[in-house]
Amino acid sequence: MSPHPLSPSPFGRGGPPGRPRWSLGLVVLLLTGCGQRDRIVVGSKNFTESDLLGEIVAQQIERRTALPVGRRFHLGGTFVCHQAITSGQIDLYVEYTGTAYTAVLKHAPVADRDSVYGAVARDYAERFGLVWGKPFGFDNTFAITVRQRDATRYGLKRISDLAPLASRWKAGFGYEFLERADGFRGLANAYGLRFAAPPTAMDLGLTYRALAEGKVDVIAGNSTDGQIQALDLVVLEDDRHYFPPYEAAPVIRQVAVTRHPDIAVALAQLGGKMSDAEMRRLNALADVEHRDIATIARDWLRVNVP
Amino acid sequence: MQGIHGSRMSLLSFYSRNSQEVLGLVGQHLYLVAISTGAAIVVGVPLGILLTRRPTWRGPVLGVANVFQTVPSLALFGFLIPLPFIGGIGATTAIVALVLYALLPIVRNTYEGVAGVDPAVREAGRGMGMTDWQLLTQVEFPLGFGVILAGVRVATVVSIGTATIAAAIGAGGLGVYIFRGVAVVDDTLILAGALPAALMALAADGLLGVAERRFAWRRK
Repeated sequence: MSPHPLSPSPFGRGGPPGRPRWSLGLVVLLLTGCGQRDRIVVGSKNFTESDLLGEIVAQQIERRTALPVGRRFHLGGTFVCHQAITSGQIDLYVEYTGTAYTAVLKHAPVADRDSVYGAVARDYAERFGLVWGKPFGFDNTFAITVRQRDATRYGLKRISDLAPLASRWKAGFGYEFLERADGFRGLANAYGLRFAAPPTAMDLGLTYRALAEGKVDVIAGNSTDGQIQALDLVVLEDDRHYFPPYEAAPVIRQVAVTRHPDIAVALAQLGGKMSDAEMRRLNALADVEHRDIATIARDWLRVNVP
Repeated sequence: MQGIHGSRMSLLSFYSRNSQEVLGLVGQHLYLVAISTGAAIVVGVPLGILLTRRPTWRGPVLGVANVFQTVPSLALFGFLIPLPFIGGIGATTAIVALVLYALLPIVRNTYEGVAGVDPAVREAGRGMGMTDWQLLTQVEFPLGFGVILAGVRVATVVSIGTATIAAAIGAGGLGVYIFRGVAVVDDTLILAGALPAALMALAADGLLGVAERRFAWRRK
């Protein structure tokens, strides 16, 4: 399935209403849970990689501390997670430096890895009371992706190779890529991309399928998506270094770290442990082979963080 | 929330600045709802009538219509993209999905409306020597029309809300503002899409409600 699974949208068809007994239990749980916050709640965004990293972080905290860990996974994207963590609904989630830098802090995109991490960590601490942990070690950048067939036929390797073809090609992008400062508009300027028609705005998860089925010719996926290999797609190189680095790292509320310093220790053990290839492999296990996320996380932790 | 949004503007200034675009999206939205509800009526009403003639089909047909209600729209789009003629990306796929979602209330109410006619009235018709076709067109359909219209009303109002998902498959409509607003958490943008859709739903509900009442009145 897609890395941004075909989930019911918040305004699409809702699921069946919860059973009364269930909701009663939930209310009781919430009431008792609110009394003393001795529980860490881990969130994640609505795509596989974020769920995977959330699960890894959650299990790591469970292994290394005595704290019970709640999971609020698959929240509606960057801004929903940001809202949730700044309002204290969740204590922790995995964010990407470039996303925080451009989309949350609204800086113009910069391509220097260290300065982005430094600026993000400083601003988050000052403005939101949030601490950035050590990055996992991989970079999940926007991946301008085409079909392997087209790449071979037109000799496409880099994004700049696209410029002469763009006027005959159709693009399909997710709403976030179309709206973000480090998204389509900047990319089109940086590379002089002029598509035949304005890009089709659609759900991100559907863009992979639309590309594979030949309904569009170029999309913006994520470089660590397992889908890219599975659907015989190729990522074009960002030869003008338009995209900032997107290093994944846990972001946690300062309050939670102060109260439970052992969490910081547990998280630090994850720093630098995940390469691009390793992340891609885990995503493929979940998306292509449909393996259970909790199992993937458990196996990975056992091998890499003994 | 406060921290992440520097430039936010009021809904009114948004509309005045983007009036052309807003009108275009409202037009797309109406188009999607009109075509899909129209198609759902053309398919659903005869299907509902057919069920009153073939009672054993009732369970399976309503079951299938029920199942469509429970398939998440994005999953449905995923299945539709590779299909020729009814799939791909754009308005066609969105309309197919909206038709599938609108079928249940129309089929069900048509069935209930026609099957729910007082058996005594039906017997009287038969006693007068009416054929099945005459019984349907002159007795059952006119008497059940109020219930059928109520189903169309529900389908229309629900479609106006559901049509916002068309924006997920590149078909435009007011959902574009909602999707963009959710992507960057801009309440103004979300409201810019949700508010006209809500007003449209209220208007459709009111108009069809008047038609329903007028019909019920005429029947007496």
